[in-house]
Amino acid sequence: MRYDATLKVNGRAYPVAIEPGRNLLSVLRSEVGLTGAKEGCDDSECGACMVLLDGQPVNSCSYLALQADGREIVTIEGLAGEDGDLHPLQQAFLDQGGVQCGFCTPGMLISAKALLDRNPSPDEDEIRLALSGNLCRCTGYSGIVRAVQAVAEQR
Amino acid sequence: MATAEKPFIRQDGKDKVTGLGRYTADLDMTGMLQAKFRYSDHAHARITRIDTSKARALPGVFAVITHEDVPDVRYGPFVQDRRLFAKHKVRYEGELVAAVAALTNEIAQRAVELIEVDYEPLEIVSDVEAALQPGAPLLHEEWASYGASEDVVREGNDCSRSTILKGDPDKGMAEADIVVKERYVADMSHAVPIEPHAVVAQWQGDRVTIWSSTQVPFIARSGVATTLELPEAHVRIVVPHLGGGFGGKCEFHYEAQVAALARVAQRPVRLVFSRREEFLAPDHRREGQVLELETGVRRDGSIVARRGRLILDNGAYSADAPFFPQLAAMMAAGPYKIENVFVDASLAYTNTTPSGSVRAPTAPQACWALEQHMDSVAGQLGMDPVEFRRLNIVKNGDEGPTRQVFEDIGAAETLERAVELIGYGKELPDDEAIGVAVGWWPSFGIASGAYVKINGDGSATIITGAQECGTGAVMALPLLAAEILGMEPESFSLLYQDTDAGPFDSGASGSQTTFNNGRAVMAAANDVREQLLDLAAEQLEANRDDLELKDGAVSVKGSPTKSVTIPELAEAAHGSTLLLGRGADAVPEMPASDAAGCTGRLGMESFLAPTFITHAVRCKVDRETGVVRVLEVAAVHESGRVLNPIGANGQVEGGVVMGIGMATLEGSLLGEDARQLNPHLLDYKLQTASDSPPIHIGWVDSPTKPGAGGPKGSKGIGEPPCVPTPGAIANAIAQVTGARVHQLPMTPARVWEAMQR
Amino acid sequence: MSAQSYTAATSVDEALEAMATGARPIAGGTDLVVGARGGKAPLPDALVAIHRVSELRGIREQEGGLVLGALATHADIVASSSACELFTALADASAIVGSHATRTAGTIGGNVMNASPAMETGGPLICFDAVATLRSASGTRRVALTDLFTGPGRTVAEPGELLTELAIPTPKDGTGSCYARLEYRRQMEIAIVGATAVVTLDGGTVRDARIAITALAPTIHRVAEAEQALNGSDASDAAVHAAADAAAGASRPISDVRGSAQYRRAMAAVLTRRAISTAITRARGGRFPIPASPALHGAVNGGAA
Ligand SMILES: Cc1cc2nc3c(=O)[nH]c(=O)nc-3n(C[C@H](O)[C@H](O)[C@H](O)COP(=O)(O)OP(=O)(O)OC[C@H]3O[C@@H](n4cnc5c(N)ncnc54)[C@H](O)[C@@H]3O)c2cc1C
Ligand code: FES
Ligand code: FES
Repeated sequence: MRYDATLKVNGRAYPVAIEPGRNLLSVLRSEVGLTGAKEGCDDSECGACMVLLDGQPVNSCSYLALQADGREIVTIEGLAGEDGDLHPLQQAFLDQGGVQCGFCTPGMLISAKALLDRNPSPDEDEIRLALSGNLCRCTGYSGIVRAVQAVAEQR
Repeated sequence: MATAEKPFIRQDGKDKVTGLGRYTADLDMTGMLQAKFRYSDHAHARITRIDTSKARALPGVFAVITHEDVPDVRYGPFVQDRRLFAKHKVRYEGELVAAVAALTNEIAQRAVELIEVDYEPLEIVSDVEAALQPGAPLLHEEWASYGASEDVVREGNDCSRSTILKGDPDKGMAEADIVVKERYVADMSHAVPIEPHAVVAQWQGDRVTIWSSTQVPFIARSGVATTLELPEAHVRIVVPHLGGGFGGKCEFHYEAQVAALARVAQRPVRLVFSRREEFLAPDHRREGQVLELETGVRRDGSIVARRGRLILDNGAYSADAPFFPQLAAMMAAGPYKIENVFVDASLAYTNTTPSGSVRAPTAPQACWALEQHMDSVAGQLGMDPVEFRRLNIVKNGDEGPTRQVFEDIGAAETLERAVELIGYGKELPDDEAIGVAVGWWPSFGIASGAYVKINGDGSATIITGAQECGTGAVMALPLLAAEILGMEPESFSLLYQDTDAGPFDSGASGSQTTFNNGRAVMAAANDVREQLLDLAAEQLEANRDDLELKDGAVSVKGSPTKSVTIPELAEAAHGSTLLLGRGADAVPEMPASDAAGCTGRLGMESFLAPTFITHAVRCKVDRETGVVRVLEVAAVHESGRVLNPIGANGQVEGGVVMGIGMATLEGSLLGEDARQLNPHLLDYKLQTASDSPPIHIGWVDSPTKPGAGGPKGSKGIGEPPCVPTPGAIANAIAQVTGARVHQLPMTPARVWEAMQR
Repeated sequence: MSAQSYTAATSVDEALEAMATGARPIAGGTDLVVGARGGKAPLPDALVAIHRVSELRGIREQEGGLVLGALATHADIVASSSACELFTALADASAIVGSHATRTAGTIGGNVMNASPAMETGGPLICFDAVATLRSASGTRRVALTDLFTGPGRTVAEPGELLTELAIPTPKDGTGSCYARLEYRRQMEIAIVGATAVVTLDGGTVRDARIAITALAPTIHRVAEAEQALNGSDASDAAVHAAADAAAGASRPISDVRGSAQYRRAMAAVLTRRAISTAITRARGGRFPIPASPALHGAVNGGAA
C-alpha cells in the first residue's frame, strides 16, 4: 500500500505517494526527480546520498522516505542561490581542486555545509573528522579540505 | 607556457558541484526496464541445466537471456577465453549465467531467483601457487584451442608467462658477498570507484546506443560489435559523466548483455550495479601476487644480481592481465642498476573474479615487496636504506633491466627531494618512523585522434575520442589548443566520450589521455592554425610567411595595425571555408632495449618516457594493537614537464591516499568456496578524510626530448602516484616494530602478528 | 524491502497501539533500514515511526541521576555536559558511533534495542547500572540493562514493548570511566573489540570496579573476574594488568574477516587495560579527551590527544 506524504525539497513541496519501505534517496531520485544525491553503496558507508533533513545531514539511502514527510529537505540542487549563484562552498570546491569525478561531491558538499552551519570556523582536523562519513576515491580529500578551510576563513 | 600553467577551472565542474550533471544511473527513459543478472552459484562447476521458464512467466518480465540468446563468440583482448554468458562451465562466483529485464528492480530480482540452474561442482582452485602445480585441475581444459595473441606464452593454468634476463644472474649471485631472499604475498584488492557500474541501452532500428559508465568507450564499442556480431557503425557508446574508474571500468564489461536484453525486450534497459556487485563482478580487480625476491650485493652496497619468481592471479578469465607478468617483472627488477637479472613471472588462472588494469597495475604490490626487500638488504649490509638506494638508483646513461639506456630522467632527484621534504633523519618519538620507497612507471604511447573546429563566432570546439574519468585530463585539453591558437582556454567547448563523434582513442586508461590525445589535440590545433593563417593571408593580402597568430588575431609581423581577429576570420569563413583541424600525432617509438633473453614479450621490455617516484612517509605504529596511522607523506615525482599543476597535484593526492588504503586495509578475503567474504564497504575499508594525512608534493622538472614523450616533454601522470606509497609505509612499520609484514594489506592484525614472531 | 504498513505516532500511546497490532518501532533507521538494504534482514511488515513522539526526546537530570529519552541521539549525548561529566564512558561510546550523520540520526533507544554484541553504548550502560523502561499497551516494567540482552539481536523485551527511557543513577564521588574501542580507522568503525571500565576510588584504593567487554561474546557483559582483580587494589599497573588479563580470559572471540580470535583476545587485554587506566586517570580528576579511543591509538594531525 502507498501512503501520501509531502516532501519539502529545496523549498518546494512535492506531494508523493510512496510504499512504506522506500528510502528517501530512491524517492528523491525517482518521484521528485532530483538525481543530484547519488547511490554509492548498500550499507550507508559512502555518504554520496547525503541530504539535509531539518538542517541535519542524513544518508538518504538509509532513511525511510515517509519519515521525512512534512520536513525540510535540502539536496545538492538546493545549495546554489535562487539566482543560480554558486554557494561559496561550491565555488571553493572548484577553485581548490575538490572535484574530480564528482560522484562524491553532492554528499560531500552537503556534509561540509552541515559542518559550517554548526561550526563556522573548524580547524583542519575537525573538518577531516566531520567529513569522514563521505568517501572520496579521487581527490585524497586534500582539495576538499582546502576548500572547506577557504570558506571557513572567509567567514 | 604561460597559458598552460595558469590554474584553470574544469569545464565540467559547475555541472558537478550543482548536482545537475547526469551520470549513467541518473538517466531515465519512457518505458525503460531494469536489468538484473543471475550470477553463478559456485566458483567452479559444470552447468548441467538452465531453466528460465518460471522467470519468463513472471508478470512484468520482458526478457530473460542466457548464452543461447547471444552469438556463440569468445572474446578477450589477449586470450579469447570467455563468453557473455556461461555455457558449459562457471569459473567464478561473479560469472553471468543469465540476465533479466523487467518493469522494476524488484520484479527483475524475483525473476533472477526463479531461474533454475543445476550444477556439478568442480574442485576449486583459488591459490595461485596451487594452480600452477602439476596435476592441478585445469580451469580451461580447452585452453590450447583458444584464440590468442601470438606473443602470449601459455600452458594450462599459466595464462601468460614472461621472463626477463640480463647478464648471468647465477654467476652474479655466486659472486655476491651477501644474498637476501624473501617472500611476499599481496592479496587481491579493488578499484572501488564511488560510482558503481551502470549501463543503459536503447535500440533504434538495427542500431544501438549505449550509455555506459565505461572508461574506454571505443574498446566497449568493439566489444559489443564483436560479441553481438554487429558492425561498429551500428553501435554508439556515450559516456555521461563518469564517477571514477581507476581501471575498474576499463575494458568491455556489461554493455553487450544490456544491449542484448534491450533488443529482446524492445525497450530501453538500464543496469545499475549495487556495491556488492561492484565487488563480486567488477571484471577488473587488482590482482593478488606471490613474489619471491633474491638479491646479491657486494659489501660496498652495489647490487650484483637479482632473481625473482612472481605468480600473479589472473582470476577465471583474461581481461588485459596477460601483459602484467612482463610489467611486474620490470617492477621486481626496479629502477636500479643491477648487472645480472632474471625474473620469471606467471599469470595463474584461479576461480576468482578476473584481474585487469587497476591504477598502475602490478606496480604498487610489486613495489611494496621490492622496496621492503631493498630495506632488508640494506639492513643486512648495515647501510642506511636511503644511502643504499642513492648508490643503486638509475641515473642518466645507466641501463635498465633490459639494457634500456635512460635519458633525461630525474630518479635520483626524486629521492633527494623526498627525504628532504619529510626531514629524513630528524628526531622522532619512539613509536614513529619514516619509510622511503622508490618506484617507476612507463608512459603508454597509443594512437589517438582529435579535431579542432573554429565556430562561426571565433570560439572553438575540440572533438575528441578521449574519455574523462575525473582526473581532468580531458578538461585540460583546451589549455594545449588555446596556446597554439593564441586563444583563451575558456573559448573552447569539448565534445568527448561519444564514439560517433571523436576519432578512436583508447580511453581513460594507462595515464594516456594527455600523453597521446594531448599530442593529437595539438596536431589538430596546428592544422587549423595553418588554415587560419591561409585565410588571413587572403584577407590581409599579405604574404603567408609574414603573418603571426597571437592573442586571438593574425597580424603582419612588424605592422600590427594590419591584422584580422579569429572571430573575423571565422565570420569570413562561415558557410564557405571549413575551419576544421585534424590531428593524430605519430606514436613515440619505444626506447631501444636488449630483450633477446626475454620471453613473453608484450611490449613492456622497455619503458617509454618512464616516470620516477619517491615517497617518504612518516607513520606512527601502536605497537600493542598493530594500528598504523600515516601522519605525513612527501611525494616527489619526475613526470617530465608538468602541464597542469592543479590537475597533477590532484592525481598525487588521490593516488597517495589510495596507496595508504592498499597498504593498511584494502584487501579482499576469500572463503573456502572462493567467494569474497567482504564485498561491502563496511569490511572493505577505504581511507576516510580523517585517515588521510597532509601530503607534501614535489615535482622534478625533467622534460623528455621532443618525440620521446608526451606534449612538451610530459609523461603520464595519473597512475604513478599510488605506486611507492605501500612500500614506504611498510618500511616505516618495520622500523618501528622491528618486524616485516610480508602480506598486503598490512592490517593491524597482521602487523601485530608479525611482532609476535 | 517488504514493509507493508506504516504509521507515524505522535505519542507513546499511539506507538503502543500500533505495536500491539504487531508493528515494529523505527527511530533513526540506521540499523533497521541499513540492515534491510544490505540484505541482513528485510524490513518488518508493519512499521510505526516514533521520531515525532516528543515524550521520548531529550536528556534530563532527575533526582539521583540522568534520564535518557529513547530518542536521545548519540549527538545529543555527546552534547550533554552531565553525560560527559558523570557518565564519561557513555559519552566516549556515543562519540565514536559511525560518522557525524550516524550520530545525529541514530538514537540510544535504537542502539540498545538492536542489541548488537558490537554496539557501543551497551558496556557503559551496563556498568553504570542503567535501567530501561519498557512500556506496552498492557503495562510498564523496568529492566536493568544487565538483564536486557539475551543474544545477538535479542532482548527480553516482548514484541509489543517500547523502550521509553533509560535511567542511570549518578555514580559515587571518586568515579571515573572510559569506553575504549579498537579502531582501524578514525571514524566509521565497528567494534572489533571494545572495553568499558567504571572505577570508583576511595583514596588510593579501588572501592568499586565495573568492567565489561564488547564484541567478544554473544552479548556484552561484565566480567566478574576482572572486577575482582581490581576491587580493593591500589589501582597499580599490576592490578590493572591482572584485571585486563582476566577480561581477555573471559572473552569468547570468534575469527572472521575483521580479525582472528587470537588477535581479538590479545586486543581484549590491551583495550581493557587502556580503558581501566583512563578510568583511573579520570577518577583521580585527570583530564582525558572524549572520545577516548582515538587518543588511545595515538591521534594524528594534532587531533584529540
Ligand atoms: C554507517 C553506520 C555506522 C554505525 N556505527 C555504529 C557504531 O560505531 N557503534 C554502534 O553502536 N552502532 C553503530 N551503528 C548502528 C546504529 O547507528 C546505532 O545502533 C543507532 O543508535 C541505532 O539507532 P536508530 O534510531 O537508528 O535505530 P533504528 O534502526 O531505528 O532501530 C534499531 C532497532 O531498535 C528498535 N527500536 C528503535 N527504537 C526503539 C524503542 N524506543 N523501543 C523498542 N525498540 C526500538 C527497532 O525496531 C530496530 O529493531 C552504525 C550504523 C551505520 C549506518
Ligand atoms: S548510498 Fe547512502 S551512504 Fe552510500
Ligand atoms: S571526486 Fe570522485 S569520488 Fe570524490
